[in-house]
Amino acid sequence: MPPVDIGDRLRSLPGGSAVALKLDPREYADHYFAVLNATLRDVGSETNAHTVYVAVTSPAAFVWTLAQALDVPRERISFVDAISHIMMNYSNPLENATYVDSPRALEEIMLRVEYLLRKFPHPRSIVVIDSVNSLAIHNPPELLSEFFHILLNNLKSRSVLTLVLETSDEEQSGVEQMLNLVVDETIDVARAGR
Amino acid sequence: MSSGSPPPPSETLAPSGLMGPSLQLERCATGIEGLDNILGGGIPRGNMVLVAGSVGTGKTTLSLEFLVRGAERGERSLFISVTEASAKLIQNLSTFEFFRTELVDQGSLVFVDLPVIYERLGLSNEELNAEEIGILIRTIRDLVRTLGVRRLVLDSLTSVCYRIHKEEQIRDFMLRLGEELKEAGCTSVLVSEIGPNPGRYSLHGVEEAIVDGVILLWNARRMGDILRVVQVVKMRGAAHSRAQYVMELTPIGILMAPHLKGGREGGA
Repeated sequence: MPPVDIGDRLRSLPGGSAVALKLDPREYADHYFAVLNATLRDVGSETNAHTVYVAVTSPAAFVWTLAQALDVPRERISFVDAISHIMMNYSNPLENATYVDSPRALEEIMLRVEYLLRKFPHPRSIVVIDSVNSLAIHNPPELLSEFFHILLNNLKSRSVLTLVLETSDEEQSGVEQMLNLVVDETIDVARAGR
Repeated sequence: MSSGSPPPPSETLAPSGLMGPSLQLERCATGIEGLDNILGGGIPRGNMVLVAGSVGTGKTTLSLEFLVRGAERGERSLFISVTEASAKLIQNLSTFEFFRTELVDQGSLVFVDLPVIYERLGLSNEELNAEEIGILIRTIRDLVRTLGVRRLVLDSLTSVCYRIHKEEQIRDFMLRLGEELKEAGCTSVLVSEIGPNPGRYSLHGVEEAIVDGVILLWNARRMGDILRVVQVVKMRGAAHSRAQYVMELTPIGILMAPHLKGGREGGA
């Protein structure tokens, strides 16, 4: 059976789904770009949905550059940037981003996501969390579990498609086990067609 | 412009739940969605509530949003400022998307500087005596009745209490003010400035015993980061959550989320 296209998989999901997108660290750049392409261009463009991108791994400015390369218009994406402040990389803040002091301020991340969803309401909004691994570097597992439990349930009740990026090799890590408890489905990008 | 006293607070039968039907006071929805959820619909109408917190915890912003949301609903709202000039407060408010200057222009949202009232009433002594306290209460009462005020904020009670030195006079001031406001159907918020670890919710410690409700705000630290936390400590006439919530001041208003504990007592 041929691999399923990531965009097709995401499109087929019911509203309010929470999905872990598993990226192989050995092919991270390829996988990451495939996910962005599927999310922002395929699904986002088709439904004209607004995407709230939670940037914890790379600053919003970097992701915005990639989004621009994919011809994503500014009005269709906004960022919660939780990494620029601690990377001392806040000198040129983006207009379509809101900045949280650090990845440890998990409640603030939740509230900024809430703020952007209210500011840019859309029946099929998308939230991308990039990534669970970066959040795990800065937060203890119990706190992270509580964060995901509350955030994903809240987004589910509002029919928001939530995509959680996860970098993982063959062996299942504690982070992956925790994520499995809160998402509806895991898409292994290495096995999916692109 | 309406005048005279609004109807006294009415009582309604709350929907029956697992605990059975209960007689509940009419609610004054704050308009701050998270807070109304915590309070089970809002502050019981006519309650006098202490909003206590240290510097930078969002006391004034919360109080202002309470008034603006009320004015939007057609409830005349009065902000009595003791320390900060009204013009500056209005200027700060204009950065919020939920605020419209027409509310002030139309008289739905009224700002009064208490130092101006002190001056007009000739209350120039550093310490107010019993008679002067009575004059102050009657002045606030008359303002509320004349304007038909349904929501009032005094920012701050602490500044007023600096001029009332005896505890029994503070108790008397608050009891009488509370009675007048309740009778007028006016729900009030009294701002209390406290230190970061005060062990009490007000300057003298008697204030919290008299008010109907206490909403506590503080800055919690998590590995060096600061989070604004809110907790409703008491609210007479309302079955409310006593959990801690994190508060964020956004351009569209205050948003709240549960304070994550991560398995630790008192929050991570």
